[in-house]
Order: sequence, then C-alpha cells, then structure tokens
Amino acid sequence: MASFTASSLSLSNVSCSLKQNQASSLRKASLSFSGKGLPSHRLPALRFRVACAAKKDTVNKVVEIVKKQLALPEDREVNGESKFATLGADSLDTVEIVMGLEEEFGIAVEEESAQSITTVQEAADLIEKLLEKK
Amino acid sequence: MKLHCFQRTFFHSSPSLSPIQLPAPMETHLWYIKPSEVKSESLLKEYLDILSPCERKNVLQMGGEELRKSALLARALVRTTIARYQINSEINPRSLKFRKNIHGKPEVEWQYSDDWHPPPLHFNISHTSSLVACGVTINSQIGIDVEEKHRNIKHNILSFARRYFSEHEVQFLATISDPQVQRMEFIKLWTLKEAYVKALGKGFSGAPFKTFTIRSKSVPEEDFNKLEGLSPKASEIVVDSFDNPTVLTSNWRFLLLELANSHYAAICTEKHGASEGDRNVPVKLTVWKTIPLLEDECVSGTDAVKTICAAEFS
Repeated sequence: MASFTASSLSLSNVSCSLKQNQASSLRKASLSFSGKGLPSHRLPALRFRVACAAKKDTVNKVVEIVKKQLALPEDREVNGESKFATLGADSLDTVEIVMGLEEEFGIAVEEESAQSITTVQEAADLIEKLLEKK
Repeated sequence: MKLHCFQRTFFHSSPSLSPIQLPAPMETHLWYIKPSEVKSESLLKEYLDILSPCERKNVLQMGGEELRKSALLARALVRTTIARYQINSEINPRSLKFRKNIHGKPEVEWQYSDDWHPPPLHFNISHTSSLVACGVTINSQIGIDVEEKHRNIKHNILSFARRYFSEHEVQFLATISDPQVQRMEFIKLWTLKEAYVKALGKGFSGAPFKTFTIRSKSVPEEDFNKLEGLSPKASEIVVDSFDNPTVLTSNWRFLLLELANSHYAAICTEKHGASEGDRNVPVKLTVWKTIPLLEDECVSGTDAVKTICAAEFS
C-alpha cells in the first residue's frame, strides 16, 4: 500500500511539473515505475485527478503567501511556474516566505530544502511531500 | 580604519571606464550604484549590451521595470568593475566569462594560457531595488550583503529569530525594548550573517543560520594603540560557529557600514595568514559610488559611508 501511494504521488508530480522540466520529478517517476508492477488497468486515474486538485489548492495558498510577502498587486499573475527571484524575492523574502508556509501548513522545512525552492510549484510540491510524511 | 581617496573623475565625452589598481592584500574595494540615479535610457542600453546573452535573457525575464533595472545594474556593475582592473590588459567588460563554483557561488572564468596566471581576484555582489553593490578583494574570500535600513519585516522579529538565528542572537534581540531599534538591529544581524555565508561560498544550507552566532566583542585594551581613530569602547564583530568551534571562525573579519544613509552593508573577508599580532590590523576599505561608463566618485571618508560596529552588549 505504501508503494502504491508513493507511485501515485510521483505520477501526479510528473504530470503537474512536466512543463518545468524538473529532472528530479522525472527521476522520481522512473524509480516508481521500475519493478513496482502496477497493472495498467489499475493506474489510478481518479486518484491522479484528486492528487492534482490538492496540488492546486496548495499552489493557490503558496501564491497568496508569496503575494503578501512581496507586496504584489492582487491582479499580478502568479502561478506554479513563477520563479521567486523573477518576482523580486531576495534571500530574506524567501526565508520569510518559507516561514509563512511553515506557519500556514504546520510543517518544518530544513535549510537544504528551503534553498532548493525556486518556484511556486516547487514550494507546493515540498509542502505536499512534508504533509505526506506527517 | 585607514581610508584612501582618489580624485573625483567625470567622463562625459565617450563612455569609458577609469582604470584602477587592484586592491592590496587585506584591502577591500566596494563599488555601488543607486539605480534611482541612473536615468539615461541610452546608458541602460549600453549596459544591456555588455551582458552575455544568458544574462540578458535573465534580466529581461524579471517581473517589472524596477526589478529588471536592478538586475541589469547588478550584472553591469560586476562586469565593469572587474574590467577596471585591466587584468592581463583585458579592458572589455563584455569579454568576461563567469561560472559558478560547486556550491553555486559565481566566480570569474579566466581565459588564460600556460604562461599567464590570473591574480586571485575575488568578488561578491548584493542588490536591493535601491542599491547594488560589488566588493572586490585579492587573495581573500569575500561576501557582502546590503539591505535597506527601513526594510519591513513581515514576521514578528523574535519569532523569526527563534526560528532562524542562534540562541545568543535571540537573547541579544530580546533585550531591545524599542521595536524600531530591534528591527534595525535585526537587519544588521541579517546582513552580517548573509555576508558570512556568502563569503564561505557554500550557500544557505552550507552554513545554516542557526549554527553560528555573530556578535560584538570588546577589543582588548592592550590593542587600543594599534587601532587608529577608535574610541576606548571599541568592539569588533566576530563569529562563533558551533560546527567548527576552533580554527575557522577566527579567520573571518567583518565590517558593518551604513551606506548612502539608506542601507546597511556587511562585508565579510578572510583574514589571510594572519598571525596573533596581525589580528587587529585595521581593515583598509575604499568605497566608490559609481554610474559605470559615466561617473565615479570616491565616497570613503564622507557621510555616504559610516562605519558601525555592532551594538554593544551589556
């Protein structure tokens, strides 16, 4: 059961992040496909959709926190692909954003992980991963 | 603190860079731009022109004119600053190549042949939307960080400090009752910690903020005579690292400045080969305010550069 869950999460990771060409997500996907033997008719299409929808909520919350931290106007377009640096976040902003995410989601983000977050989507992915562990 | 000053030079005719000598060992050069003072569109176009295609692309991707401008000025400042030193007679800022070290810290990728070795030039930049700065040294790792003095912190200062700073630093901030002063001390501490991590060149996770303390330490009385112009209450800024308690932390020297009355700037450099007796040799710092290709002004010793030592601990 654990491996099934992991696979479905990785599947949704791949799908939601494909546009960004995240090598790490693609790697995750190939690991989960090799030898786990999920019969194709059991590929969790419904679950996949649910996992993606959850990501959208997470992404929206991240966007809200980012907009607040960087004092961006409401009508400013910020989505999963938005890079923190491009939005004008410096290192102090990024740390404040991470702290805001920790407070909002009740998680703890390690320094290494915090440093690797460069886009809204990456932040949402990390949050989901940390929530999954709880 | 020894300060040098060069003559004020203006170049109005053809855009050019005034050449300058490399800093001596144990000397730091600091160059800064105030984006609000760069108004000429044609000058900005010239800056864009000296960037590499990759840098140009990154600049143009920034969201908003102000962000694009400070990103552009940051790259233009690095290229023009290094070009001034005319290393290997190379004076074209456009021809410089950069790469990142294993941890992502930018450095110059010198094009050199067998019979020429580049000088050990080190640089580091920091920028806010209202000030862009570049520090240069020879033979010494350098990290700098600038922040607006009146920067707004969204979180409660002590909550933030408890999460990210060391216990000693939290205690220091907690003793400050005035919220404005507390915020400013927080910002000073942040810039010092950032500068240290950037000097180490290992990135934020290489030296997590919680694993080291930056604090003010009184200078021993017997060393007073060696330090020019410092009052008897002189103190220096030091770092204690929990991971490397012995050797490494005494190798770093800090300088905290107030720049242009608007920003705090922290500079962290290596104390190279310093013996016990050299520990308190004054730092030589020269600061220029610049609009590259147009105008340079040495501001050392003026109101634009005020040295701060970290607030005294009771």
